[in-house]
Amino acid sequence: MGALPSDTHPSVSGSFALEVDGVSKAYGTTQALSNVQFAVPRGQIVGLLGPNGAGKSTTMKAVLGLVRPDSGTIRVFGRDVHADPVGVKRQIGYVPETPSVYEFLTGAEYLDFVADMYGLDPTSRRAQIQPFLDGLELSGHENSLISGYSQGMRQKVALIAGLFHHPQLLVLDEPLNGLDPRAARVVKDLLRNRVTRDGVGILFSTHVLEIAQAICDRVVILHHGTVLASGTVDSLRDRTGLAGSGLEEVFLALTGTGDIGDVVAALER
Amino acid sequence: MDLHKVRRLSRVLVTSQLRSGRSSSDPRSIFGQPAFTAGLDVTVFLVAFTVVSLAVRSLTLGSGASGAGSVGAAVNGAIPFFPLAAVGVVLIAGTMFELSATAKFSGSDAVNWMPITPAEYVVSSSSAIAYTYSPAVALLLGGLLAFSVAEGALVTFVLTLILTVVALFEGALLVEMVRSLSTRAGSVGSGRRGPATFVLRAVVLISAILVLDLALNPVFLFEAVQRLSAFPAVSAAIPLFWSSRALSEWLSGQYLLGVAFAAAQVGFVVVLGLLAAQLRVRYWVPSATEIRLDAHRYARNHPVLSRIGLSRPEAALVSKDLRGLIRRKEMMPPLVVPIVLVLLLLIEGSGFGTLTTILWVAWVGGFFALLLSVTSVGQERRSLQLLFAFPITGRTVFRAKAAAALLPVVVAAAAMSFGVGLVAHFSTVSLLGVVLLTVVAAVILSFWGLVFAGRYSDFQERPRPQFLRPSAMLGATLSGVALLSAIVLPGAFVVADPSPTSLGFVVLSVGIAVTVGISAYVLARSGFDALFRELPF
Repeated sequence: MGALPSDTHPSVSGSFALEVDGVSKAYGTTQALSNVQFAVPRGQIVGLLGPNGAGKSTTMKAVLGLVRPDSGTIRVFGRDVHADPVGVKRQIGYVPETPSVYEFLTGAEYLDFVADMYGLDPTSRRAQIQPFLDGLELSGHENSLISGYSQGMRQKVALIAGLFHHPQLLVLDEPLNGLDPRAARVVKDLLRNRVTRDGVGILFSTHVLEIAQAICDRVVILHHGTVLASGTVDSLRDRTGLAGSGLEEVFLALTGTGDIGDVVAALER
Repeated sequence: MDLHKVRRLSRVLVTSQLRSGRSSSDPRSIFGQPAFTAGLDVTVFLVAFTVVSLAVRSLTLGSGASGAGSVGAAVNGAIPFFPLAAVGVVLIAGTMFELSATAKFSGSDAVNWMPITPAEYVVSSSSAIAYTYSPAVALLLGGLLAFSVAEGALVTFVLTLILTVVALFEGALLVEMVRSLSTRAGSVGSGRRGPATFVLRAVVLISAILVLDLALNPVFLFEAVQRLSAFPAVSAAIPLFWSSRALSEWLSGQYLLGVAFAAAQVGFVVVLGLLAAQLRVRYWVPSATEIRLDAHRYARNHPVLSRIGLSRPEAALVSKDLRGLIRRKEMMPPLVVPIVLVLLLLIEGSGFGTLTTILWVAWVGGFFALLLSVTSVGQERRSLQLLFAFPITGRTVFRAKAAAALLPVVVAAAAMSFGVGLVAHFSTVSLLGVVLLTVVAAVILSFWGLVFAGRYSDFQERPRPQFLRPSAMLGATLSGVALLSAIVLPGAFVVADPSPTSLGFVVLSVGIAVTVGISAYVLARSGFDALFRELPF
């Protein structure tokens, strides 16, 4: 199936937390991104979906200024990411796919370090951090070295580091990885509150389509570095002619990876 | 015991150890294949055999039977130490390898959840260790074969070969035991206090390097030979010496006693194997121990670091790096190397003159600075992307990394040079001079290290991190030697003999130091600017 046109065009800067406009990026002979275009409106969660190697992580890194696009522009609240990287990053909370936190620090030391990086007021940071430690049940563990944490605990630390300084744009790469059901629910509700109450924009990458369907207002489907389709789940259902189907069926149909039955049969032989 | 499983696991462990090194991480590289070690064994054996054969022949032709006889006597005296040398090489090299591995890799081991018995693992692992370090033994045995052929003592060679290979396994099993015990000691030593672990690791590493130095010191080895022959009862009671006793007895014609000691040695290695398996069952843990530190107080202002002009993000970065310096296992080698060098100076350098002592101290200070600063960016590894994501600039990171390298380096260089100057009874002027020279050398070499760290750091997650790309490490070392020589040599002459006539040396030393220092600072800063344009992975 060919690419479907996007129904969200980044035209009015004022209403968007993030605008990705015609971004391309190649690593040697590999074209990681090709004319990628989408936007994250304020007060919405946009799911960034795609098979492995589709270009999701490269897109997120480009949004953060970690990689420089070969062409195209990325604006956060109307500001070009590469023109004012420090100012833009101050407004972003980032949770990487793998929580590469400093393992030789304790959880509390790491969060204090992050607070220093964002220039948070020393007198109020404890009050900002402690509710997160309590809410995600890390209290009592914050003075242990991160090297001794479980995967879920590391993920919680990375999440707290991305959220506690109240950024206006959240860039979350598989943020619910390894979380227990309670913590996952806390995070999902928290994100929804940030969106509806504070007008935060969220770019949310995940492979778990049930989660994307449950919490994302719109989705962007990347495949081979291009935007295959974007819009609300309902609009994608309509356009694929899969009315009544879940996001999983829509995704598999769009990405042309719907030959599941054949694959399973081959594996069972 | 499933021998097929043991063989497969050994192969994987050898491959793992080879590829954790500097230049062999590419799976297609010949240096990362187990067959490479076998090829190296054969090559060094043949080279040693050929070189020693030629040497023996020329010696026999040149000085006749008396010369050959004295060489033969010397070789016969050295043969009993072949097994001991094999144990020493494997034990020291294996222990050093363990100590420089990251906690992340040494704490996780897939074989813990595979259907492999502790005995199978111990046999596989010790075989892999023995195989990895076998080229050192092949070198010794190649040389020995040449003598044995010349002397017509092939039976002695075969016995030495067998006992040396047994000794290789003995050393490997001891490394296995060190691994299990250090895992245990690490958790006992740390408990709730991290610094205990740091001290424990430092003491072990310093001891290992000192032992290595002594083991390679011919004077020490000669003394050991004398003592062993003087106290046969002592060597009979210590299993580590049984191979040596076996060879000594064999060479002196006591064949039955020789075979008995050899059999006892083999039995001891079997017992060691059983013990190593038990230790593994008891002490090996598949994941890192949780270490709790004192409760952290938020909202600190980094008062000391702020006072030297660092902003809050810079101070936080410095504070983070200094914590890493004493908490990260892989940061231990650059920290202890200068301590060992100073200890060696104090142990062995009693005959050094003032000039040699000044040169030694300034070099140690400079190299400590270089070693530490080249690790400053590579130690971030995959966490580098965090620094990119924070609202800070490359300039902020440069200032922080420079401060994190300079602070420990300046303090250590000043303390070390002052201490050595006091012990060596320097005059006041020379004492101040050596402190100044060492600190200046350390500061300049810190920036020189940052030049390479900003451009050529390696961010790969490896069992044994290398921080800087191998070719860059070589470049940093060679250029560091050249720069250090240019700065330190003229300065040392002045400090050793301060007089009005040495004014020319002062001007030369200061001129070189200022030129190199400014160049290194500018190059290092531009390297960080370039690095922070785009994530390098």
